[in-house]
Amino acid sequence: MSKITRRDFLKRSAASGLAAGVILSGLEKPARAYSGTVQYGTLIDLTRCDGCAHLDVPACVSACREENKSKFPHPVPSEQINNYWPQKKKEDWSDKKEIINRLTPYNWITVQKVSVEHDGRVVEVNIPRRCMHCDNPPCSNICPFGAQAKTPEGPVLINHELCFGGAKCRSVCPWGIPARQAGVGLYMKIAPQYLGGGVMYKCDLCYHRVTKGQQPACVESCPRGAIQFAAKDEIKQRAEERAKEINGFVYGDKENGGTSTFYVSQVPFEKIHQQLVRQKSNQPNPEAPGYPLMPVNVGNYLDTVNGLIAGMLAAPLAGAAVAGYTAYKKMKDGE
Amino acid sequence: MGKIKRHGLSVRFVHWAVAISTIALIFSGFGQMPVYKRYMIDQLPGLAWTSDFSINLLIHYTAAGVLIFAVAYHIVYHIIRKEFDIWPRKGDFKESYLIIKAMLTKGEEPESDKYLAEQRLAYAYIGVMLIVIIISGIIKVLKNLPSISLEMDTLIWVSTVHNAATILLILGIVGHLAAFVFKANRPLLPGMFTGWVDEDYARRRHGVWYRKIQEDKKTNLQHK
Repeated sequence: MSKITRRDFLKRSAASGLAAGVILSGLEKPARAYSGTVQYGTLIDLTRCDGCAHLDVPACVSACREENKSKFPHPVPSEQINNYWPQKKKEDWSDKKEIINRLTPYNWITVQKVSVEHDGRVVEVNIPRRCMHCDNPPCSNICPFGAQAKTPEGPVLINHELCFGGAKCRSVCPWGIPARQAGVGLYMKIAPQYLGGGVMYKCDLCYHRVTKGQQPACVESCPRGAIQFAAKDEIKQRAEERAKEINGFVYGDKENGGTSTFYVSQVPFEKIHQQLVRQKSNQPNPEAPGYPLMPVNVGNYLDTVNGLIAGMLAAPLAGAAVAGYTAYKKMKDGE
Repeated sequence: MGKIKRHGLSVRFVHWAVAISTIALIFSGFGQMPVYKRYMIDQLPGLAWTSDFSINLLIHYTAAGVLIFAVAYHIVYHIIRKEFDIWPRKGDFKESYLIIKAMLTKGEEPESDKYLAEQRLAYAYIGVMLIVIIISGIIKVLKNLPSISLEMDTLIWVSTVHNAATILLILGIVGHLAAFVFKANRPLLPGMFTGWVDEDYARRRHGVWYRKIQEDKKTNLQHK
């Protein structure tokens, strides 16, 4: 190859750099942050929730089950549901629909009860638990099929038509919220003996109501106003004010990189978490999901890899620079 | 037997960087679907880590960085040097049909340039798949950032394109490796390891390329 002049080299470098740049880097346009839509949040005031002591089933739980029953799974009969080959198990809740003391595909909110010792007295705490609707939800981000997404209004939704039931979303959720039902969904149409596990279900914050300007069923049904719903900014402010008023604590603001659910309690969440851990370890299967804990300041599953992004986006530039240098050197040497 | 230089260090670096990072990406990509736990691969000796999503994701990001580096290097390096020998040409489909027919029937095949027509086509196919995978992959990486959120429909599209192009890429890789089932193609193998191939092979099969090299040699001698 003939020798190259410096001018030629710069011209060609610019052209190829531009080509590589367009191909590899100019891709941020389709990825955009939502703007212009009100993002909602909920405040769960644990000083007000009494778990509906006067009722068999807490009002938020029964309202949620009634409101969302049309979205609950309709699997094939239990005896026709295959195990997750080659394993000898399956997650089938279709004959345990009545369970309310944990999260299941048929129970998207549950009220946990713990006794916590604080400031020399024992406080009974009732904690309504459901999806926190995180700001940067790992569950939806890591779904390999894009079957989950955060809506502009805040709720994180699962696409029941597309979900394959791999349950990865549950593994990366700090609270293990999504629950799996086998024998239903897309995988049943492909090779249910060997592939897929069902469909994941969880609270969608009554998205069908939110988009109509209504409140989620759990909020509306709470007889003590313990669950409040409003624009997220306002809710956050209310949570902080309430915590200040009772000399208490907020949970959900920082956890998992931020969520749109703010718990306020007069006892520290570390103590609540300890009690929940203790309760869970006493379960017949302490590993079972559906009994969310309350780890304080729990990190986001994506924190580590998001820290690598600068290196990744620099890779094309570095590749182009090294190529330019190598090509120039070789051509100068007459190769 | 004489040897002839076929690939410089840059080409071999790009080929192996792409090959190794792609294998790591495919393995860790399958690990993003919870298959290693489900099918108990993680219970095989030394493979317990395969069911850990965070390890797989870390491998996926790191290998993606290597792949993108190599692809950018490849594009810029060859544009600067105006080397387009592997770019597909008009008539490549017909020519590759004739070459494959000749290999199967032990007949005479058309004389080739530096690359066989099917190598140029395979390059284009694998190249397009890699670009599609890289673009959709970068979008997937960006949406993992706290500041970026995608609508559900976009997310489905991006994920489906990424997954489908991966399946097509795997088929392409299988095709690429299957080329070496034919004995006629095997003399090309040392080229990608050492950079050199047999001169006899080059003269016999890549006549157009061989003559160019001889002419370049003559021109260079005249200039000296």
